[in-house]
Amino acid sequence: MRGADYVIKRTIFAVVTVFVALTINFIIFRAAPGSAVSNLARVPGATHALRAELEHEFGLDKPKLQQYFIYLGQLAHGNLGVSFASQQPVSHELLQALGNTIPMVLLGTLFAIGFGTFTGILAAYRRGTAVDKASVSTGLFFYSLPTQWLGLMLLLIFAGTLPSGGRVDAFLFNPTPLQHILDVLKHMLLPSLTLGLVLYGEYTLITRSAMLETLGEDYILTARAKGLSDRRIVTRHAFRNAMLPITTLIALSLGYIVAGSILIERVFSWPGIGQAVYYSVQNRDYPMLQGAFLLLTLSVVFFNYVADLLYFKLDPRIRE
Amino acid sequence: MTSPLLAVQDLEVWFDLPHGDTLHAVRRVSFSVERGERFGLVGESGCGKTTTILALMGLLPPTATVSGRVLLEGEDILEDGETSVRPHRWTDISMIFQGAMNALNPVQTVGAQIVEAMELHGIAEGADAKSQAGQLLEMVGIAPDRLDRYPHEFSGGMRQRAAIAMALACEPKVLLADEPTTALDVMVQAQILLLLERLSQELGLTVILVTHDLPVVAEVCGRAAVMYGGEIAEVGPVDTLYHDSRHPYTRLLFAAVPDPTGEEEVVSIPGAPPRLDRPIVGCPFQPRCDRAFEPCPTEQPRLIALGADHQAACHLNDPAFRAVS
Amino acid sequence: MSAVIQEEPGVLEGATEGRRRSTIWQILKDRPSTLVGLGVLGFFILVAGLAPHIAPYGAHTQVGAPFAPPSPKHPLGLDDGGIDMLSLLMYGARASLLVGFGATAIALLVGGSVGILAGYYGGRTEGILMRITDYFLVIPDVPLMIVIAAIWGQSLLHIILIIGFLLWTWTARVIRAQVKSVRERVYVKRARALGAGNGRTIFRHVLPQIAPLLVASIVLTIAVAIFDETALAYLGLSDPSVISWGKLIKNASDAAAVSAGAWWAIVPPGLCVAVLILSCTLIGQVLEDALNPRLRASYLAARGFRIRRVAREEG
Repeated sequence: MRGADYVIKRTIFAVVTVFVALTINFIIFRAAPGSAVSNLARVPGATHALRAELEHEFGLDKPKLQQYFIYLGQLAHGNLGVSFASQQPVSHELLQALGNTIPMVLLGTLFAIGFGTFTGILAAYRRGTAVDKASVSTGLFFYSLPTQWLGLMLLLIFAGTLPSGGRVDAFLFNPTPLQHILDVLKHMLLPSLTLGLVLYGEYTLITRSAMLETLGEDYILTARAKGLSDRRIVTRHAFRNAMLPITTLIALSLGYIVAGSILIERVFSWPGIGQAVYYSVQNRDYPMLQGAFLLLTLSVVFFNYVADLLYFKLDPRIRE
Repeated sequence: MTSPLLAVQDLEVWFDLPHGDTLHAVRRVSFSVERGERFGLVGESGCGKTTTILALMGLLPPTATVSGRVLLEGEDILEDGETSVRPHRWTDISMIFQGAMNALNPVQTVGAQIVEAMELHGIAEGADAKSQAGQLLEMVGIAPDRLDRYPHEFSGGMRQRAAIAMALACEPKVLLADEPTTALDVMVQAQILLLLERLSQELGLTVILVTHDLPVVAEVCGRAAVMYGGEIAEVGPVDTLYHDSRHPYTRLLFAAVPDPTGEEEVVSIPGAPPRLDRPIVGCPFQPRCDRAFEPCPTEQPRLIALGADHQAACHLNDPAFRAVS
Repeated sequence: MSAVIQEEPGVLEGATEGRRRSTIWQILKDRPSTLVGLGVLGFFILVAGLAPHIAPYGAHTQVGAPFAPPSPKHPLGLDDGGIDMLSLLMYGARASLLVGFGATAIALLVGGSVGILAGYYGGRTEGILMRITDYFLVIPDVPLMIVIAAIWGQSLLHIILIIGFLLWTWTARVIRAQVKSVRERVYVKRARALGAGNGRTIFRHVLPQIAPLLVASIVLTIAVAIFDETALAYLGLSDPSVISWGKLIKNASDAAAVSAGAWWAIVPPGLCVAVLILSCTLIGQVLEDALNPRLRASYLAARGFRIRRVAREEG
């Protein structure tokens, strides 16, 4: 069947992409001249013993190709090495950071999807009116703001009202679980809002143009001729079709959001994956940087794959 | 039957263009259609024929301004625009579109789209609606078990059949068919036309067929109107238009051979249709007319009755001018 | 009898083609918002070019107390080092625009070549080139920029190269789709049939047709490049010796301008970036929308058509 063909094709593509990502990772960090790990002298505070240990662990004494297979083998066992800075396994550190990043990103993304698609649909339906112009201008405005700057502006505005950084209040002793959750939420509000607003602009514009494209399709004219109400035409016919490009684009953007959260986490000192990337750059903590980069790439590949599968679910033309 | 089923009176349509320009797409169009009649609306592309029938159902974009009356059994359905026309959509007047390529929603099954119309207008619900939809498919020559298929699984001809089935879901009085056979291959074209003719006879359905394809009109329709530059140039029985036309445009049109590939309407009348975004002085066909004479560039011709059921808008038929020529 | 105009349908076609060629200017002219965008872009370029001549103070001269608020002498106040903000903004425009245009030039060169080659030749060439593009699209660009900048060291040239080489994929896809459709058009086929070489066909016939979208893609890439520069600067990965808008945001943020309430040190540079990106996005978006034939018709709108009750208003 053609449908099964499609799924198999996309799966193969995803798997191959993972290998390409792994290889790029290897080249950037180990194979390129002067690259990070091969130049262990740059590791701050490394003793002779540590250096020898690292050299052995990474197999730097062996030829490049063999190094590559050692590297793949280690990855297969989930071994991303040990962080120079914390002396903890990188995988452990990354999981913890990811656990902090995901709820923050999720909150902002849900906000953006909800409001963005709503105003996008409204703008398309009211094309050319003041509502349309206002939505597009607002969308373009937020889309144009540098993320970190928007975060700083929110900090300026909400200075004193909302916590300016971190994930929890250090002076909140022995909080009850409920207090803890509320505390985290309070800290999460500004970073999530920053992300939400930036994405809101993008999603409004995406939804609007996808909706405009479907509103120009012949079956919308048919639906009108059938005597359907505008509301029904918009929801059942136009949006249902516009969802194809919209879900794809949103799923694709989700992959980049994790990466894009670097700036936001930096502004609000949110201890997530972005912050981890920042610190590993500062400390030249290459195992950590390499692990984080790999994770970010994999998240893009993963959401790409999700987008492909969603498309399959939403478009009967692929299923067959 | 004293009043006709559908009467269009002085229909005019303008479109707003950028920079404040206006396009006067349909100009003083009047015609009427009886029950069970098959009426053709013929002309080159851009002559206003499609705009005319879209106006009948109130399916024009917000850039359009409409005036005139569309009387369905004596009731002016365009009187309050969208509000007054919506109750008549699909229950009284339904429509099929060009080639049916995209007229069906690609993400809904064909059955669901037929059932949607029935449920909306309270014809039938649930399983009952589905079985009726199956009967409709059967009536247009599609196996009822294909209700659960998606449009892309149908061939072009089958899609158009399904669109016809959907158009009949609420037992309308009038079916508007806008170039229903373009983009279909010749064999399928003939089948679709035959189907339309049969349905019209069996169900007493009135069909208004819009096309640039004259043989199609000759085959299916009893009467037809020829449109040029947004106006009706001549209207009458198809036989009369063929053999006793009183308008040079109709004559040239019927003498011209349609492009054999059927893809583009290459009609070998020299010149181009008038631009509708500018005022037209005199007869719109005058610049291309081989029989134009003194009054044509300045005087606008009116439709003149030439028989019980035959009218043409040409100064050649006007006794007042004929004396001069 | 001479009233009959002997006109070929092809003459009309030619006329529309001629019209298509001037579309960029026509589209921009018809939409006042894009003229504003062009104006802003021009203004910033002018300021950047003339910065050494029009800046009231030097970019490294301390002229007052750190974070001195705006005053008649210093309309935008002073930064954390007591340097005039207005002068810093003018100098900052140079690096930001240089990164924007430089990186875009690289992206255009690489992406445009890949897109044109893939779209024009099709077949295996296209398959391989587009597969490579697909893989590049999956790499998250900001983290990769960070990694490369961190490893290769921080200089303005590196930043331009890094951003440029990571932004080409998008241009390549847009251009390929366009070239593919143009290639199938009659006059291109005719030109090839008449023996025009591939290079000649591409430059004489294909490029002029895709020009509007190329311009759209250029301005949108400029916006992204400038955005990326501020991101790298904010993470401390920009050239330490170069002043850019991104660097100004970073400096103010590091010097705790937010908690000091020195908004004048942090709002203007971000606003400059935002306004510049907004201008580019406006121009690019409008061009893309105007060139997308699928956006032209809409069968559903909140407002219905109008009814004119005066039956006849002209004779």
